[in-house]
Amino acid sequence: MQFLRQIYYLFRRGFRQSVRPYFALLPEYLMPIMFFVINSAGFQRAVDIPGFTADTYLAFYAPVALFTAIYFSTGSTGIEVAADLTTGYMDRLFVSPIYRSAILIGKLLAMGVRAASQCLLMLGLVMLFGAPFAVGWAGLPILLLLALIFGMGWAGLGLCISLFTKNPRVVQSGFVFFMPFTLITTAQLPLELLTGWYKTVVLINPITYILEGFRSLMLRGFEWDVLIMAFTIAILFSFVTLSLSAVAFRRLSR
Amino acid sequence: MAHAIEVKNLTRKFGKATAVKDLSFVVPEGEFFGFLGPNGAGKTTTMRMLATLLRPTSGTALVNGHDIVASPADVRASIGFAMQGVTLDPLANAWENLVLLGVLYGAKEKNARKRAEQLLELMQLTKVAKQWVKNYSGGMKRRLDLAAVLMHQPAILFLDEPTEGLDPSGRRVIWQYLKKLGRESGTTIFLTTHYMDEADYLCERVAIIDKGEIVVDGAPADLKKKVKGSLDDAFIHFTGHSIQDETTNSKAADPYVRI
Repeated sequence: MQFLRQIYYLFRRGFRQSVRPYFALLPEYLMPIMFFVINSAGFQRAVDIPGFTADTYLAFYAPVALFTAIYFSTGSTGIEVAADLTTGYMDRLFVSPIYRSAILIGKLLAMGVRAASQCLLMLGLVMLFGAPFAVGWAGLPILLLLALIFGMGWAGLGLCISLFTKNPRVVQSGFVFFMPFTLITTAQLPLELLTGWYKTVVLINPITYILEGFRSLMLRGFEWDVLIMAFTIAILFSFVTLSLSAVAFRRLSR
Repeated sequence: MAHAIEVKNLTRKFGKATAVKDLSFVVPEGEFFGFLGPNGAGKTTTMRMLATLLRPTSGTALVNGHDIVASPADVRASIGFAMQGVTLDPLANAWENLVLLGVLYGAKEKNARKRAEQLLELMQLTKVAKQWVKNYSGGMKRRLDLAAVLMHQPAILFLDEPTEGLDPSGRRVIWQYLKKLGRESGTTIFLTTHYMDEADYLCERVAIIDKGEIVVDGAPADLKKKVKGSLDDAFIHFTGHSIQDETTNSKAADPYVRI
């Protein structure tokens, strides 16, 4: 019980840390909307390409906005933890009689919930622009669960870098992972229209399958084979990054 | 009298440099004990080992009867450690900082709030308690940091340079509180400092530490009597140099550790 209680209170602290200072939330909302508006306006005529798999480019791109929202909301995890390390707050937690794993679990859960809540807000915003949401209320918990799992996994990536390097600048430069992970996917064109090495890399990129999970829920409804693949990849991705984080954390907390 | 802290042959190395060499000492329960020494003497390293933030290279120590290596969680439950720098959450207010620590040390949230209220009043921080800590002055942060380590009423309080960076009036406020705490609550207090006046005013017994070793220990009055002078004179007499003298060793893992 103590363990769960500690996770709860550290979750609360982790969530609070991630939303302060409040003005820092603006880019997390503005950037995904900006990408969404610019891309869906700029690529409108892409739907005319034979084989394009959506009625409007706005509808096709909308899931990417949710994805970008998750990236931006959880991408600061590593910097927040690096700040705790450099300010000595992590030592404050280490010197208390808590289960040290509760620090990591509480923070990751906080970031997962942040990812899900950011995803929900972004969903509302893109729907205001006219994006569809095929599965409706019934599918919303599935979408949010996928966002939570992937959000924790993405937070784990920043956390890894932070715990291994303890350097906020190095963590910040981890943003370099954002570009290939997001762009070399089916973010801008459906798989059917890709060719060559690019298509090969897209097929290897695990983020492609998670994005397709979001796209399935928003555009086409419950495609269980696509969703099972999305959840499997999200869980595996999160397992890898969170395991590495746990190894780094264990080294740090010994 | 039972010992709150018992240290036997404690050693800590960082690479090729030895920060703490074969240290042995005891601190009886309820004593206000101090380590007096220059920067790089091994004071903080010793304290971090006793607070279980650093593993010793060799040697043992018991804190409140618990082994620092075998039972670190038991040690942590019974100590408070005010570290050299302020270790608060800057984007939380005083309430949030204190209540979180209270519940992490096992208190119910309601009780943690009550305790936080008492400590905020004691530290004269009630008026600013809802502001984020990053907006506090250095003195306010220090006082809040002290309140944080007192939330769970520890049996032993470790204070690493508790008045570093404070102005004279700020130091006085902290001194007066610590003196009262030591006198009235029976808490064992282990303090490190490089300020002679602080060691002289606060400590019942002082160990002069230099180059990772205890050179001499005794009550400040006794040490002064031995040299017929001040604590500064006692330091020079027993170590051969002034507390301000520091040399650096570029080969050490920490270049400010003296060898």
